Amino acid sequence: MSVKIEVIEGGIPHQKILIAGLVLAVIGLYLSYLNVIVGTQIFAFFGGLAAIAALIWGSHTIKILASYGIGTGVPSAGMIAFGSGVIAFLFATKFGLYAPIVAIILAAVIGAILGYLANEVLAMHIPVMIKSLTEMAVVGALTLMGFSAMISGSFTFSALTTGSTKVLGMSLPSYQTSYIGGALIATVFLLGAIAIQHGFNACLGPGWKQDRMLMLTAECGFLSMMVAAVMSAALISPAAAILSFIIGLLGWYYTYMKYIELSKRDAAAWLDMKPIPEVEGH
Amino acid sequence: MDNIVFSIGITALAGALAAVAGAAENVESDIGSQGDPNSQVQLAPQMGYIHRIYNKAIAGEPPAWGLWIALGAGIAWAFMAMQINPILAIVLGAGLATFVQGVYSTTAYLGRTASLSKFGQPVYIDIIKSMTTVTMAHAFVAIFATVTLCHLMNAALGHPFPLPLLGLVWGIALGAAGSATGNPYYGKERQYQTQNFGAGVPISASGNIVRYAEAGERNSLDNGFFTAKLGGAAAGVCFGLIVFLELWRTVLFEKIGAGWGAIIVGVIIILVFTVIDRFIEVWARKNYGPYTKPEETSS
Repeated sequence: MSVKIEVIEGGIPHQKILIAGLVLAVIGLYLSYLNVIVGTQIFAFFGGLAAIAALIWGSHTIKILASYGIGTGVPSAGMIAFGSGVIAFLFATKFGLYAPIVAIILAAVIGAILGYLANEVLAMHIPVMIKSLTEMAVVGALTLMGFSAMISGSFTFSALTTGSTKVLGMSLPSYQTSYIGGALIATVFLLGAIAIQHGFNACLGPGWKQDRMLMLTAECGFLSMMVAAVMSAALISPAAAILSFIIGLLGWYYTYMKYIELSKRDAAAWLDMKPIPEVEGH
Repeated sequence: MDNIVFSIGITALAGALAAVAGAAENVESDIGSQGDPNSQVQLAPQMGYIHRIYNKAIAGEPPAWGLWIALGAGIAWAFMAMQINPILAIVLGAGLATFVQGVYSTTAYLGRTASLSKFGQPVYIDIIKSMTTVTMAHAFVAIFATVTLCHLMNAALGHPFPLPLLGLVWGIALGAAGSATGNPYYGKERQYQTQNFGAGVPISASGNIVRYAEAGERNSLDNGFFTAKLGGAAAGVCFGLIVFLELWRTVLFEKIGAGWGAIIVGVIIILVFTVIDRFIEVWARKNYGPYTKPEETSS
């Protein structure tokens, strides 16, 4: 049996965050598809922005799920989101233009099955389990797809599995130096899985505030985008990688400063080189 | 024959790198109170014990270290794909991964502490300034050593996995080794020095961690100094042995029985360690015994 231990008071309702995250992620993914239409790689950064939108939605879902004493650490939610999302994401990349839609549908099905297993077979009986795990799987698939589109320029299967190596000055197609062949997907998996859970894991406690948590998740997203942009330099044109990096850096700086401001607002005191304050009774 | 000698040399080098990585990883997580000791650091202010201990909760150690190492390896892989010298690529990868680790540390401390405002736990800016840099230094050593050993496996021993995937696997192994070996030493001994040895933590002592030092107030650097002596070394030996034995059995016995030789030797190693562990446990119980109540002496 589970007991709901915390409720969300005030703030933006979850439904709004869900719809905004889903819509923005899909729009971002399709804007990154402009690369294929126009025949350039400069729009790769839209993939990173799509991933950040999905991450913010996902971190709020974790908050809802973790309001019930589920008995595991918060990070496990990030792992299951990406573990179920990666299957849907890889399968969906075969569908070209329809990849984001296929990924959402397939991830939702996988998530619902996992939620059903957790609730009925493992008998956890948590009211929001099926809905939350469905959302988490979709978030995982969309985040992976976003960062993949950003690093390799496109979310289609052929783009993810072919790179090029220079041999004696000639450019040859190669599986080894591709996004999947080089297993950069392993790095992106953990970048996303840690970023999605860090917002709630770092801000949990009696003084939890929604705006602070969402700002932190955005910060983690932009930080991940920055390092993903560095990795993308190996696979896409330098101009596109530098553009992604600059957008990530600006977004990261803004959200980091904003997050410190919000922490200052919520902290009991903001001290520098001060001793432990005297508390009555100890 | 030359090939075997070369491979054993690489194995020894990888084991030595792993020992350095394990020790650095454990000291890093102890300074940040990550893993095992974290629950008590988190609990202390709620029980009224305001402290000046660094509290950087970034997931458990295995996933967090999985990310730092996979990130270092991924960036190093990308630079190597751009035809940059491997050593420079690994240094750049480790440097960027360390930057990410540092940013995550500061946000974790700020978030956790701000959420405890109800209990009067202040945010100490000087803690962020002085501890984060020290954890980053240790993290750099651990990330550089581990990515290097992954690169050795890939380039010198011909492991079929690409560098980032090896980074993910060995990063999780590194976090697990440090979390299981070194951290209990800090969580059980250092935090509860005021309790009798082996007494466990009774409910009444929950959150009553050691907060004052010989002179002044204790901070996490003291904890790092304390655990570097035994906890860090133990974690280093643990991870070093894992890497060394894993590569050793593969290098020597892989040719026997189409790979089955290495698997059988692996099972034998596990059995040998199970016997050793059991022997040590029985020996420790006999010598130190279960905790017994102090006998009431008539005064």
